[in-house]
Amino acid sequence: MGLEQINTLMEVFTAEDPMPFEHPEGDPWKDFREVMRIEWKMDFTYKHVLGKYSKFFIELANKKFVTTECPGCGKVWGIPRPLCSDCLTITKWKELPGTGTLIGYSVSHFVPAFMKVEKPYVLSVVKLDGADTLFTHQLRNYGDSTDAIKVGMPVKVAYTDENVDHPLLLMHFEPA
Amino acid sequence: MEILNKERRVFVLGGGISKFAAERVDGNMRDWMNEAVLEALEDSGTQIADIEHSTTSYFSDHFDKQLKAGAIFHDNIGMCPKPNVRVEGGGGTGGLAIRNAYAYIKSGLCDSMIVFGGENMGRQVPSDVAQQFIALASDTDWEVQVAGFYIAYYAMMMTAHMDKYGTTEEQFATISVKNHRNALYNPKAHYPMDITVEDVMKSKMLSYPYKLLDNCLLSDGAACIVFATAEWAEKNAKSWGSKPTVELTGTGCGTDFMRMADRPFPDPGIIHFRGKQTGAQQAYKMAGVKNPREDFDCFEVHDAYSGVELVTYEDLGFCKPGEGGKLAEKGVFDLGGDLPTNTSGGLIGFGHPVGATGVGQGVEVLRQLRQEAHPKRQVELNAKRGGMDSHGGTGTFCAINIFERRD
Repeated sequence: MGLEQINTLMEVFTAEDPMPFEHPEGDPWKDFREVMRIEWKMDFTYKHVLGKYSKFFIELANKKFVTTECPGCGKVWGIPRPLCSDCLTITKWKELPGTGTLIGYSVSHFVPAFMKVEKPYVLSVVKLDGADTLFTHQLRNYGDSTDAIKVGMPVKVAYTDENVDHPLLLMHFEPA
Repeated sequence: MEILNKERRVFVLGGGISKFAAERVDGNMRDWMNEAVLEALEDSGTQIADIEHSTTSYFSDHFDKQLKAGAIFHDNIGMCPKPNVRVEGGGGTGGLAIRNAYAYIKSGLCDSMIVFGGENMGRQVPSDVAQQFIALASDTDWEVQVAGFYIAYYAMMMTAHMDKYGTTEEQFATISVKNHRNALYNPKAHYPMDITVEDVMKSKMLSYPYKLLDNCLLSDGAACIVFATAEWAEKNAKSWGSKPTVELTGTGCGTDFMRMADRPFPDPGIIHFRGKQTGAQQAYKMAGVKNPREDFDCFEVHDAYSGVELVTYEDLGFCKPGEGGKLAEKGVFDLGGDLPTNTSGGLIGFGHPVGATGVGQGVEVLRQLRQEAHPKRQVELNAKRGGMDSHGGTGTFCAINIFERRD
């Protein structure tokens, strides 16, 4: 009986006044400093739809890099868009050669949760030949040291034969 | 864009902050909002019963596990059945909420508005889960899946800036030193610290070129401001006439593509904040600002990362593109310099409870313009004008607001 009836109970404790410098007359909240903490677990699985750019991911599985070209203004988006946001024309699919130039990069020694990636890893932004805008992905196989990575270096799209948890991971960038 | 009705003006009557800290185990978001509201009401000398409208400012439903939390904050302070609206734009939420107060009051929808903002960023989830939540504010189909997250995005922007302009890691480390130092004189700051450039350089590498001390903080906390017309204030605010009068004279907003990869290349590419340039242009025009370095006495800028502050100087017109680092090294933006920035400590020293951040910037500028700040962080008033810059994403939503003292 009592607190042990609460399956998720972590602790009950007395909190300190975080702003004592504002309360020379005493803590106005002194009757409310007893605090309970419980554990709250949430776990979901979504049935996620990749919608009108699904073809990009389907073609990745065929080891092809496709994006969209606007028949209205001619713009080629690095990341495909079903609707050209410059002129609001419905776009057409277009295959790119998969070569490009490194525009920016980071070397991360920290990984957000739920991501299966070995540290350190390099995230990069690349200007693909034939595209007007950029594409973001990991840069791998850069050699023994990240010192070799330079803005302006040539890179290419590479494909994996391994199983992946998200279709975008069927590709990555490598030095060309 | 031109403001045609110059008769109806919006004034800043008072503000409040509930302490920013790594984890406020003493309560939750509702409790901090209440504290910030009580302080703002006292500071403005107003009664909640007289205030006609509220705006809620918070960012994430994930951190607090509570959807439409605005309803709770609004009813906690006895505002029902009066109107409330929520504003959301990632890290720019608080700046947009201040802009919202301007729009609602200026339009005549209300004569008075209370804006409350807060965030429960705390340590209720581990930091890698927190970074994952924040990463969900980037494109979840195209950026998050390749292990994209915000530190890495900003790091990519900075390597491009370094390559183009020769900006150095030591230069942006000076921002961290300045902001942690300014926070020493702000008792409500999360992370006051007296550190050196070497300390920043030696701190743990998170995502090259950003080290631990280049980063802003996941903070708990809340902030609140009361806005009104002069006529309403004269009738309902005890502070009116007894405290220096401060007016909201300029507001601007700009945006850019969610994914920085989509932004026009090479200009701005991934280097500059186009949304800040656009927002600043609007706000400066409204307030009659010609030369920001001279026309402001202080400016709170959105230092999500130390390098972001340098780039922001450039995009808000404090200096030419590429000059931010050199000027920061010279102390131009220190207390006592040409234009002191982040006198509160900014996101790096004061803290970054997202929905509170932009509102807290407004409270700091109000305190500065009323000369109520701690004497060691109080700026000299010349232009009698202070600015604030708040953004979400990698410059996806940008809000720039300007307060001026009217004596």
